Amino acid sequence: MAESDDLGRIIAGCKDGDGESFSRLVDIYAGRCYGYFYRLTGNKETSDDLLSELFVKLVGKIGRYKGGSFDGWLFKIASNVFHDYLRDKQRQKRLLDGRKEQLELEKHDDRQSYDERVDKLQEQLGKLDDETRELIMLRFYSQASFKEMAAMRSEPIGTTLSKVHRGLKKLRELMK
Amino acid sequence: MATNGNNENLKDLVGQFFNAEEAGRVVEDVREGEWIVREYGAPEPDSRLIADIKAEIGGALAERKSRAFRRTVYKVAAVAAAIVIAVTMSVKLSERGGESETVVAASMIPAAVWESDDIAVDDAELGTIVGEIEELEGDLLALELGENGGNGYEAVEELEAELEEIEGVFWKG
Repeated sequence: MAESDDLGRIIAGCKDGDGESFSRLVDIYAGRCYGYFYRLTGNKETSDDLLSELFVKLVGKIGRYKGGSFDGWLFKIASNVFHDYLRDKQRQKRLLDGRKEQLELEKHDDRQSYDERVDKLQEQLGKLDDETRELIMLRFYSQASFKEMAAMRSEPIGTTLSKVHRGLKKLRELMK
Repeated sequence: MATNGNNENLKDLVGQFFNAEEAGRVVEDVREGEWIVREYGAPEPDSRLIADIKAEIGGALAERKSRAFRRTVYKVAAVAAAIVIAVTMSVKLSERGGESETVVAASMIPAAVWESDDIAVDDAELGTIVGEIEELEGDLLALELGENGGNGYEAVEELEAELEEIEGVFWKG
């Protein structure tokens, strides 16, 4: 409750154009949003770009947030940012071509600060179809309930549940 | 980083769509799958990237404030301009209204004409005045129809000067 009050104050500050409030919002959500973009693109540079784009867009859009789950609202924008990115066909092609290459490079990148096991998950996620991968990541990083996810995607809750279940089941098998 | 799904009751939710046996397996698949994603964490954004994003947001906020300020200035300027135009027009209209009464009704027919006993001379004087007035009526009509080349303000002033000249000539005799 206290946490949500605090978030409410931060959002109110953002609506007033307060830079410090935006800074706190970035601190709270950057990690999760970055993880979401990274898991969908498998590319650090692209994730950097998408994360910047998301927060700069937020400056213009924050006034339109009218309550409800802020996480759900934010990840809906993040999802739109990702789809805008995908719509750029040239970049999409580069993403698909570069995904395997990027994974290979990152395996041997001494600067990487996270466990090598991360790559295994990324590799297996790459074997799922785009929609399933996005659904699983949306569920995990936005921390949205199935009800909220179904609302975000404008589809029946049973459909969302079924798709996420099938995706996670397949991921479990792939990771064995 | 854990999925909390707003602490929804997954068992109850799944139970609405699957039979008891299937529901148990579905819940297990979902929880195990999410556990894998949680265990294999994604990289964190670089601290320099976060600093860059905050700087970019600062720039965007400054731009937003500047746009808001410009909009306010434009609105105030537009309202001020509208007030100035309205006041100017009302002053002009009231000035024009007053002058036309003075020129046409009072000043154009000198008292001497009414007091004179020499009808022939008076008729000649009045004939000249009537001619001048008819000419002015033509000019006014042209102004109303926009045949004055578009500069109505100058034309009205010319007309006023002409009226004053006629008045002066008439009084001098």
